[in-house]
Amino acid sequence: MTLTLDVLGTRILAGGRLSGPEALWLYREAPTLWLGRMADAVRRRKHPEGVVTYIIDRNVNYTNVCTARCNFCAFYRTVGHREGYVLGFDEIHRKIDETIALGGNQLLLQGGHNPDLPIDWYEDLFRGVKAKFPDFKLHALSPPEILHISRTAKLPVPEVVGRLVGAGLDSVPGGGAEILVDRVRKLLNCYGKASSDEWLDVMREVHRAGLRTTATMMYGTVETDDERLEHMLRLRALQDETGGFTAFITWSYQPEHTERGGEEATGVDYLRTLAIARLVLDNFDNLQASWVTQGGKVGQLSLAFGANDMGSVMIEENVVRAAGAAYCMDEFEVVRNIENAGFAASRRTMHYEQLGTPVFRQRDVPRMVELATAREDGDDSVPAELVNYQARSAAGKRQRGQAPPSPVA
Amino acid sequence: MSVDAESPIPEAVAAQVRAGQRLSADVVAHLATLSDILALGALADDCRRARHGARTTFVRVHAFDVDTMDRWQPAPAAAREMRLTGQPSSLDHALQAVRAARALSGGRVVRGFALEDLAVLGGRDGLRALVAAGLHDAAYVSPGPAAAALVAEGRHVGLGVRVIGATRVAADRTAWLLDARALADAVSGLVAVAPLPRVPDRLTPTTGFDDVRTVALARIALEHVPTIQVDWGRYGPKLAQVALTVGADDLDGVEAADDTSKGPRRAPLEDVRRNIAAAALVPVERDARFERLDA
Ligand code: SF4
Repeated sequence: MTLTLDVLGTRILAGGRLSGPEALWLYREAPTLWLGRMADAVRRRKHPEGVVTYIIDRNVNYTNVCTARCNFCAFYRTVGHREGYVLGFDEIHRKIDETIALGGNQLLLQGGHNPDLPIDWYEDLFRGVKAKFPDFKLHALSPPEILHISRTAKLPVPEVVGRLVGAGLDSVPGGGAEILVDRVRKLLNCYGKASSDEWLDVMREVHRAGLRTTATMMYGTVETDDERLEHMLRLRALQDETGGFTAFITWSYQPEHTERGGEEATGVDYLRTLAIARLVLDNFDNLQASWVTQGGKVGQLSLAFGANDMGSVMIEENVVRAAGAAYCMDEFEVVRNIENAGFAASRRTMHYEQLGTPVFRQRDVPRMVELATAREDGDDSVPAELVNYQARSAAGKRQRGQAPPSPVA
Repeated sequence: MSVDAESPIPEAVAAQVRAGQRLSADVVAHLATLSDILALGALADDCRRARHGARTTFVRVHAFDVDTMDRWQPAPAAAREMRLTGQPSSLDHALQAVRAARALSGGRVVRGFALEDLAVLGGRDGLRALVAAGLHDAAYVSPGPAAAALVAEGRHVGLGVRVIGATRVAADRTAWLLDARALADAVSGLVAVAPLPRVPDRLTPTTGFDDVRTVALARIALEHVPTIQVDWGRYGPKLAQVALTVGADDLDGVEAADDTSKGPRRAPLEDVRRNIAAAALVPVERDARFERLDA
């Protein structure tokens, strides 16, 4: 059958599914505003109540030491680098205290692949948080980090997931997906941290363990438009199988300060990509707007192109900031943008349970708080508890005063 | 454009717009209340394509801010226009700025300031003195009861005025558009409208929805004005590019220096071309007098 906007538009409005070739044709050929209006119609069908949600959480990067060396990343430092850091448990607890004071309910905890953090460091961190803040949620460790822990601990992924869940892991962020096509991952030097199948397998295990996760896509590097679609179709297939994804978030590669360099994809490209994601990912309930990378204006326009969530009121974000994205909105500004677009605003949990009216309408909260980022410039202190965990790298051992490895470890 | 999602715009109104006919003030006011900004944008895009096709013009401008005169540099060779920005404190200040810009212009067109800001400094004689000092055009005139007379006054002493613009965001944006339409009716030769404000409200900046609605409505309501402009430098590549899909056909304020040191939002020539092309449009450079450089 010849593809036409009318045929596909009718199918979309009737709730029918797009095939890969159909989606690719629309992505390439459909006018931008047509895509947006279709995505908006689907958003309205899924969320007829006219509410746009957001979450107050804090994105904490517990370490910037990373062996993966993805060439699109401006955040990592190599093992032994003088700017490498690991946050101490006390520091993380302090950040949680500050987050709760601002009405937050969750930590989004991600970091580099640090060879000197064994699995018991993560377990102790999670247990410590849960002991002190029992209701506070830990949305932590993207699939490549879980895979990294499994490799360093020499334990299978299901066992690692089981132990982390036992220690207090509540949900898993969908980071590290980039584009789930191995050709692309090899070019981005992120195939080693997780192949496409490995990323999806970790998510499958996490869903099997009863946890919900998000899914992401970072586009705008070396991938083709059909590889973007392939990424979405792989996510859709896993969602058909497990139903474990709560939301999809896409953003454009932020080139500043990265080894790869280059240009950022345009605003129209972002809106088209978001809209086609809403049409292809028919089994995902929620799509987030990435105002951190697109700015407040295009971020808000995402709500007309299929998004129903403004994501996180960012209190701290180091990975994207390191790459040059510098947009900032506090809760007041996020809510103003939601309401200006004609929606009601509601805080939510990671599971998209609505928590009600904005915090700033209930009590006084300071505007545009400047909280410490992961590590102050020039702070090279080492958390005291790290000596209790066996380092694997020579630099880590030196720093912790630990014995060289036994030859039959 | 084939759009199957139900449009909130009555077909009779859409047909009137596509035929280039004028909408009544009530209909414009009604369209301004629609939350479906993409339906509005699609209609504006139809009008823009009927008039310009995919062609999108841009102009490279070298800006001279009157508050930083001690740091002015000669304009780069690529600049098609010198643009004086800000609000001069007195006629002398304005004259000094025009002479300095003229000296650094290499003989290129010097435009600048809001016409109403210049007129209060020294009336007709002041405008005459500014023209003698080297000012070719006022950058824009804001609509209002005195605007038509001001344009006539300026033109009488040789000061060009081609653009209707807004210094600050209007309390009632629909009323602003209707005033702009009346001004373009009253005065010939106003070839462009720049509907987004030059000075943003820092506490409550306009949102993406506000800006898209304003640009689309400008295209729809000002059926007799050929060009709808957005300022690339002020609004940034992302919003400016989106504006091109909802009725705008011209990017003003593209930085002339091919320099990325000021960050990605102050993008060089290639980035402008890339953004226009990525919106499925065709970039064409123009000069300060709205003449296409490919012609
Ligand atoms: S993106 Fe993550 S895994 Fe890749 S180098 Fe950066 S910190 Fe490491």
